[in-house]
Amino acid sequence: MTTSEHLNVTAEINGVNVTESVETRATLAQFLREQLGLTGTKLSCEMQVCGVCSVLVDGEPVSACTYLAADVDGRRVETVEGLANPGGLHPLQQSFVDNFALQCGFCTPGFLMMATALLRRNPDPSEEDVKEYLDGNICRCTGYEPIVHAVLDAARTMRGAT
Amino acid sequence: MPLPAFTLHRPRSAADAIALLDEDCLAYSGGTELLMAMRMGLIRPTALVDLKRIDELNTITLGADRLLIGAGASHDRVAGDALVAEHAALLATAERLVGNARVRAQGSIGGNICFAEPRSDVATVLVALDATVLLQSASSRRSVPATEFFLGPYWTAREPGELLTAISIPLPAPAGVYLKFQTVERPTVAVAAVALPEGGYRIVVGAVGDLPVSADYAQLTAVDAADLAARVEPVSDLTGSERYKRHVTEVFVRRAVAALAGGR
Ligand SMILES: Cc1cc2nc3c(=O)[nH]c(=O)nc-3n(C[C@H](O)[C@H](O)[C@H](O)COP(=O)(O)OP(=O)(O)OC[C@H]3O[C@@H](n4cnc5c(N)ncnc54)[C@H](O)[C@@H]3O)c2cc1C
Ligand code: FES
Ligand code: FES
Repeated sequence: MTTSEHLNVTAEINGVNVTESVETRATLAQFLREQLGLTGTKLSCEMQVCGVCSVLVDGEPVSACTYLAADVDGRRVETVEGLANPGGLHPLQQSFVDNFALQCGFCTPGFLMMATALLRRNPDPSEEDVKEYLDGNICRCTGYEPIVHAVLDAARTMRGAT
Repeated sequence: MPLPAFTLHRPRSAADAIALLDEDCLAYSGGTELLMAMRMGLIRPTALVDLKRIDELNTITLGADRLLIGAGASHDRVAGDALVAEHAALLATAERLVGNARVRAQGSIGGNICFAEPRSDVATVLVALDATVLLQSASSRRSVPATEFFLGPYWTAREPGELLTAISIPLPAPAGVYLKFQTVERPTVAVAAVALPEGGYRIVVGAVGDLPVSADYAQLTAVDAADLAARVEPVSDLTGSERYKRHVTEVFVRRAVAALAGGR
């Protein structure tokens, strides 16, 4: 029950089981980026406001900048690296490309993960639903319209509609 | 910025958690407040107790005359719970509007009120619903009305050795409207306007001052929005001056009363 500076964390990360000794005080973002080399998850505000660090833990979105790595022990983590498959981009990723929903791309992993969480709980969101769910994510480049359209388009594709 | 070092405990029962808590050993659920405060050096615990692995803190149950919400329940969980929707719809409404989607998934209702950040949707609604909070230490259990739990910004009646186990809402809970004005992460002004089950009305103005301000009225027409706006003590900050916030308070009280009168 008690541990001091380090503890063993066993988690399923993008479908792969990983056991690592992590520093108790390590954030999930540090663990993913520095220990596992999964640098798709970004860091910026470190205040749970910008969303570039968004990842899913047991399907729920969290701010990896302000979440302990220790807390994913025994849980399932999804990051942007897990979205695409060998066959190609995930429909959300393809839709971001098609809709020009990124410029520098720094915010994109966070938007993709939040959109993933949204479409799982609501496969047919309204424009309002998308705006509401993504309002904890900031993009400094493109403006938000293409991002919202990309998510709505991807939702249509994923529902199998034309 | 890295977090300062600490020891981590992961008990599986509330009793085991309580045995660990003291001034230097703090409970956490989402860590949305605590980890940020630790990173800024504002709080320096030597040990943390993870509450997320304690199932009994994550239950929402219906008693004979009250709804019990486990302290560890996330905002999302409370917002989407069928019992909460049926018996305390106002709380569900407010919980749906908290922060952003990550804060709602990660942050707990108990962490929100134990941290006692004044700009809280939860505190405003709990005062409107006459909620009490259940505190348990190694030697005692007590139930504290929300109005007596919140003592000031970041200050509650909870003792360091006490765990908040649940929030208790007496039933039937008042129904009404919840309106807030929010331009950044946290609300600038929050107003709950409810019809009390025993008759009469209650208006609670939260988030804008150090503590929620609550007033009961026999009739809705007796609500004096200007008087309530004069009674809150807003803090000037980036979201507005004191004068501006009083103005917004008055407008939102009037809107909430109109909405309640209109049966919404
Ligand atoms: C970006 C952002 C936006 C936000 N917006 C809003 C908003 O719009 N409205 C709003 O109301 N709130 C808002 N919040 C606050 C949010 O609701 C709280 O941060 C969250 O609910 C706290 O829960 P937690 O489980 O993360 O708390 P933690 O950080 O885990 O704990 C907070 C404090 O409470 C103590 N604690 C926690 N649980 C217990 C317990 N069971 N018993 C005893 N002590 C305990 C901890 O020791 C700590 O001191 C926002 C927060 C952020 C970061
Ligand atoms: S880095 Fe986590 S929300 Fe900005
Ligand atoms: S594309 Fe540059 S921040 Fe969003």
